[in-house]
Amino acid sequence: MHVYFLREAWRSFRQHQGLAWTAVVSLTATLLLCAVFLLLTNNARRAVRFIGDRREMVVYLRDDVSPALRDSLIGRLTVLYGAVTYVSKQQAWDEFSQQVGDPQLLQAVDQNPLPASLRVRLRPELLNYSAMEQAAKQVQQFPEVEDVRYGGEWVRRLDELQATLTRDSLAVGVVVALAILLVIYNTIRLSVMTRRREVEIMIRLGASDRFIATPLTIEAVGQTLLAALIALGLLFAVQQLALQQVARVTFLPPWWLAGFVGGAVLLAWIAASVAVARALRSAGP
Amino acid sequence: MITFEHVTKRYGERLALDAISWHMDEGECVSFVGASGAGKTTILRLVTHEIAPTSGTVVVGTFRGSRVRRAQRALLRRTLGVIYEDFRLLNDRTVFENVALAVRITGHFSDSEVVPRVLVALEQVGLDAQHAAYPQELSAGERQRAAIARAIVNRPAVVLADEPTKALESESAREVIALLRRIHEDGAAVLLVTTRPDVADALGGRMLRLEEGRIVSGAATEVPPGHAAYMPKESAAPLPPQTAED
Repeated sequence: MHVYFLREAWRSFRQHQGLAWTAVVSLTATLLLCAVFLLLTNNARRAVRFIGDRREMVVYLRDDVSPALRDSLIGRLTVLYGAVTYVSKQQAWDEFSQQVGDPQLLQAVDQNPLPASLRVRLRPELLNYSAMEQAAKQVQQFPEVEDVRYGGEWVRRLDELQATLTRDSLAVGVVVALAILLVIYNTIRLSVMTRRREVEIMIRLGASDRFIATPLTIEAVGQTLLAALIALGLLFAVQQLALQQVARVTFLPPWWLAGFVGGAVLLAWIAASVAVARALRSAGP
Repeated sequence: MITFEHVTKRYGERLALDAISWHMDEGECVSFVGASGAGKTTILRLVTHEIAPTSGTVVVGTFRGSRVRRAQRALLRRTLGVIYEDFRLLNDRTVFENVALAVRITGHFSDSEVVPRVLVALEQVGLDAQHAAYPQELSAGERQRAAIARAIVNRPAVVLADEPTKALESESAREVIALLRRIHEDGAAVLLVTTRPDVADALGGRMLRLEEGRIVSGAATEVPPGHAAYMPKESAAPLPPQTAED
């Protein structure tokens, strides 16, 4: 019986090719829009994550802090905020010298004015503006600490960017979901209308709603699956082009692809089921 | 099998059936004869539950009442075989596929079981050689025989025939009536509605005459369920040639 439903769906696709391809093209356009946005979001998130990984807090120490006090502070900071790397006054000077590069300029400085510091690589849950700000205030209270720097302004901007991306992704997702529902719903209703006589005869023969609806639902799901695959194919072409022409753009990870196709198919199934049920209620004798 | 108890049907102001009561038993053959608009097709539509009576009760087998749910209605129709004046075949499917559709709708048979059932039905109506033809490639008589094959393929207890010979020339009409007689002889009840008394005569069985929504003649116009006062089954008379007016 399942083979019969598949055969019927295929027959319907072939017999109403105009309608079927119109639906596929509309769905492809909608899904491609969604896929492009997903690609942008994915790459932006990767960039944000990459930058976010480098967020650290620099704790400058007083010059008079003894090694014992310093080690004790390192222990407390490691427990409270994350991995700590000690940078001595000499290491700080060496780094500075490397960055400046001009020996004459360095000779002008009498003695090393740079303080020793602790670089704290914050734990993931502290990688946001408010948590970092709070952590900085707490660290500032330790008597061994001269000053704390964490680049608060750009951390805040980074957080805002991430929030905007998430919000926009959701908005585009909702719009695309509605578009899929609308396209499938109207396609199915048109499908039932074009084969009204066939549906009527089936109802007269005693066909259950499920018997009539299943091939139509399979057809709608098949059209959406095809549209999703075409959209992903086009997206891959766009990504390859961008890779060659503009910048390094990463394609969607496998589980995003699966979610994209699965989500589209699920929406199609819901829209088709609702549309067929409504159409059949008004179709038959 | 089928019982109408004081059934009235109105379409707006127009009275199609006026409190009619009748009954037919399993294996019986009943013909309703009447002019256009007498209410014949309304009777068939009430039996198939396409429409509900305005008042009264329609009982078909175990289905009783005027408000049968959609799923039950589908189930009821699967127990009936219906033959229409205009055949109602799907033109984009072969004769075989048209008949197979009725089997598949029951949901009881696998693909391998469908084939022999369909071939037997097509053989019964003499269309086994044309099983791969499309309805447009057949004559009107052959199309009606394909529709009969579809109606009997599930071996229904009752076959309903709505003017089955109206669109046919006399030779094809004779073949269709002969087929209906054979179906009846094989044990199925047959309910025929027609404008032509000669067709009803040719089929045999009990004839009820309808006029303006009332049963005006025929055996027991007010038959309670289970009543035995039916006309004895007549021997089938040959179908006279159809006139141009038909």
